[in-house]
Amino acid sequence: MKIIIDGKVCIAQKGEMLLQIAKRNNIFIPTLCHSEALPGPGSCRLCVVEIEDGGRKSIVASCIYPVRREIKVFTDSEKIKAIRKDLLMLLYARTPEDETINNLRKEYGVPDKIRFSGDKEEHCILCGLCVKACEEMGSNSISTIMRGVTKKVSTPYDEPSSSCIGCGSCAYVCPTDAIEMIERDGIRTIWNKDFELVKCEKCGKAFATKDQLEYNRKKLSENHLDVYCETCKRVITGEKLRDIYQP
Amino acid sequence: MNNTVYVCCGTGCLASNSMEVYKELKRFIEMYNVNAEVKTLIKATGCNGLCEKGPLVKIEPHNICYSKVKPEDAEEIVLKTLIESELIERLLIYDTIKKKRVISHKDTDFYKYQQKIALRNIGEIDPANINDYVERGGYLALEKILTEMTPEEVIAEIERSGLRGRGGGGFPTGLKWKQCDLIENFPKYVICNGDEGDPGAFMDRSIMEGDPNTIIEGMTICAYAIKSNTGFIYIRDEYSLALKNMRLAIKQAKERGFLGGNIMGSSFDFDIEIVRGGGAFVCGESTALMQSIEGNVGEPRAKYIHSVERGLWDKPTILNNVETWANIPKIIMKGSDWFNTIGTDNSKGTKVFSLVGKVKNTGLVEIPMGMTLRDLVFKVGGGTIGDKRFKAVQTGGPSGGCIPESLLDSPVDFDSLKKAGSMMGSGGIIVMDERTCMVDVARYYLNFLSEESCGKCVACREGIKRMLEILTDICNGNGTESDLDLLESLCHTVESASLCGLGKTAPNPVLTTLKYFRDEYLAHINEKRCPAGVCKNLTSFEIDKQKCTGCGVCAKNCPTSAITGEIKKPHIIDTSLCIKCGNCYDVCRFDAVKIAKGVSV
Repeated sequence: MKIIIDGKVCIAQKGEMLLQIAKRNNIFIPTLCHSEALPGPGSCRLCVVEIEDGGRKSIVASCIYPVRREIKVFTDSEKIKAIRKDLLMLLYARTPEDETINNLRKEYGVPDKIRFSGDKEEHCILCGLCVKACEEMGSNSISTIMRGVTKKVSTPYDEPSSSCIGCGSCAYVCPTDAIEMIERDGIRTIWNKDFELVKCEKCGKAFATKDQLEYNRKKLSENHLDVYCETCKRVITGEKLRDIYQP
Repeated sequence: MNNTVYVCCGTGCLASNSMEVYKELKRFIEMYNVNAEVKTLIKATGCNGLCEKGPLVKIEPHNICYSKVKPEDAEEIVLKTLIESELIERLLIYDTIKKKRVISHKDTDFYKYQQKIALRNIGEIDPANINDYVERGGYLALEKILTEMTPEEVIAEIERSGLRGRGGGGFPTGLKWKQCDLIENFPKYVICNGDEGDPGAFMDRSIMEGDPNTIIEGMTICAYAIKSNTGFIYIRDEYSLALKNMRLAIKQAKERGFLGGNIMGSSFDFDIEIVRGGGAFVCGESTALMQSIEGNVGEPRAKYIHSVERGLWDKPTILNNVETWANIPKIIMKGSDWFNTIGTDNSKGTKVFSLVGKVKNTGLVEIPMGMTLRDLVFKVGGGTIGDKRFKAVQTGGPSGGCIPESLLDSPVDFDSLKKAGSMMGSGGIIVMDERTCMVDVARYYLNFLSEESCGKCVACREGIKRMLEILTDICNGNGTESDLDLLESLCHTVESASLCGLGKTAPNPVLTTLKYFRDEYLAHINEKRCPAGVCKNLTSFEIDKQKCTGCGVCAKNCPTSAITGEIKKPHIIDTSLCIKCGNCYDVCRFDAVKIAKGVSV
């Protein structure tokens, strides 16, 4: 199937997401809440594009729009630029000191001084990626709570969660580094809970929490798991492979 | 022939103590029945519509309707009307247009212009008794399709009828069923959306409370047509009576073989489960509602793939509104040709509205599509309270818009309302008079939406928050003219970039008030004046010395004793005591109280 993005003919599979097709064809669409590993929130709306389907124009979020027919797509029309500018102005108003948002808003011409003000400490844009990551991990320790303008991400009753393993996946996927994760003296603190950090048996780097490794061990139904960090794991696997092929 | 006394026990009448009226009437009827030749039955019914005049008591076959009945009136009704066949003049409905009392409610203008399809049984049956429904032709439509029609014929009949979804969107119901039927993926689900949440709306509630079986019958007909065996009715938990009556109806329908396994011996199975909603407005949005049924947070998803293909648990799903379901059995029985004769070209049938606000006949009405808004407000509704100057009518709830007097002659149908910048919505009609500030109305709706948006997408959550900030500033006298441009720009962004229907329609109250009542916005911004005398910072009240007759009515009604003056001499308002409630303005019969600019404090 062929679709035309900004005048360029692109080959697409039926059901493929528009953003994916654009990316493959080196057409840039800005995103905040999109993650290849955790598709589907569609909440930041920054990736909106205009589509023309059988003469009918509409605005869709490209990250979650599955292509079903041959359509024309405009990723950077005046209309789209105006919408993105407004969206970034709104995000800037919410997180005035955030670096990622500030860089984007400058790119789209949102001035320093705007009518609205926001909390200088706020960095969260409520995209929901952290919640999705936690859900995928299987611990379901955080969720969006409340609704409307009072919505926020938190643990149940804002208390340290019993199911949180301190893996930090939420912080890794956050596009604006809004989740505070502090590591000091062998202790990782995240979501108001302290976790003991474990050192890699090979290189000695403190790389994971005890709870996290225990969770992995149980999930894999193993009695014992070697405690190696990601880098060392790779090195060890490489060495094993080398030994197989170079006896 | 027996007498039957119907006591309205709809939500409005219940709030006016109709349950006590029912109990007292029942007590006296039982007491006097013993020796009477003509026995009397008593039934508690659903909403009759004229909530303003409740509690209503109807006496058949005499075609008498009593209004504002108190428990103390019970014995007199039994003795005089039931035994002596005498009318009790003071309890008859006073028709504000005819300016006299009428015997039957059907003689009032309020009822005269209505046509009841979805509400056909409400007020005529006891919703807690399935026999009442069956006696009025209930479940005959189900029997008809099971014995005489193929699923395809059912879908074709609904498609031909031109019925469009009554939940607000107006999507053709038959087409929805057909699309779902074409998809070979089972199981399929049938859902009734009873999560009514618009401020001032109680259409769906009244149907669920007053005629629950019609919903069950409608859903079962659809289930047969699309080959589904499981249905859900999603009811917001605040609707306790609706929940109770719906549960009872499902139980009775199962006992009678209208629901459950092997329905009416046809080997077709269909069961319905009730799901209680937690009261989030956004869960009335179909995809959020499905999320909620699945046990997830009620947040909508994009509808690029429709629910008929991938809905509840990713299976093909038909979701219709309560009122849509209530139309189905009647269309099956009387045929699509009959249904086609009612309404306009593109909007067939009738529409139920809850008529509220500054209107004389507050209540539940069902009118044929195509009636003008003017007739709806002034004939059915009886005009504005106190015959104040009409200003606007708000349709479609928070997603709708405010329609000004100049457009009152537009017909009520899906397309005309949309053209006027509003929408049909689920059927809330709020009448506004000269004492309604349109900026304040827009602010009110955005405040509602800022709390009720699910908060998932940036456009809706942040956009509404900031629009509300601007509107609040304007109402407080801190707005600027450039705010209006920003407001409009934000409206367009929220409209086009929001994820779901709630966000996409959220700017409507702002856009329509900006379009039709821009002068009010400008008065707030440039003159620091609220023309309706609502926004407190921008309002003060003054008494015109020339016009004041010194009757003292304003002083009597002033809650803070801010008005003083000798009888028959002009009164004055002490602005330091005045809380700007506007009572004095509303009660003055000599037009002597004036709305002036706000005084800086």
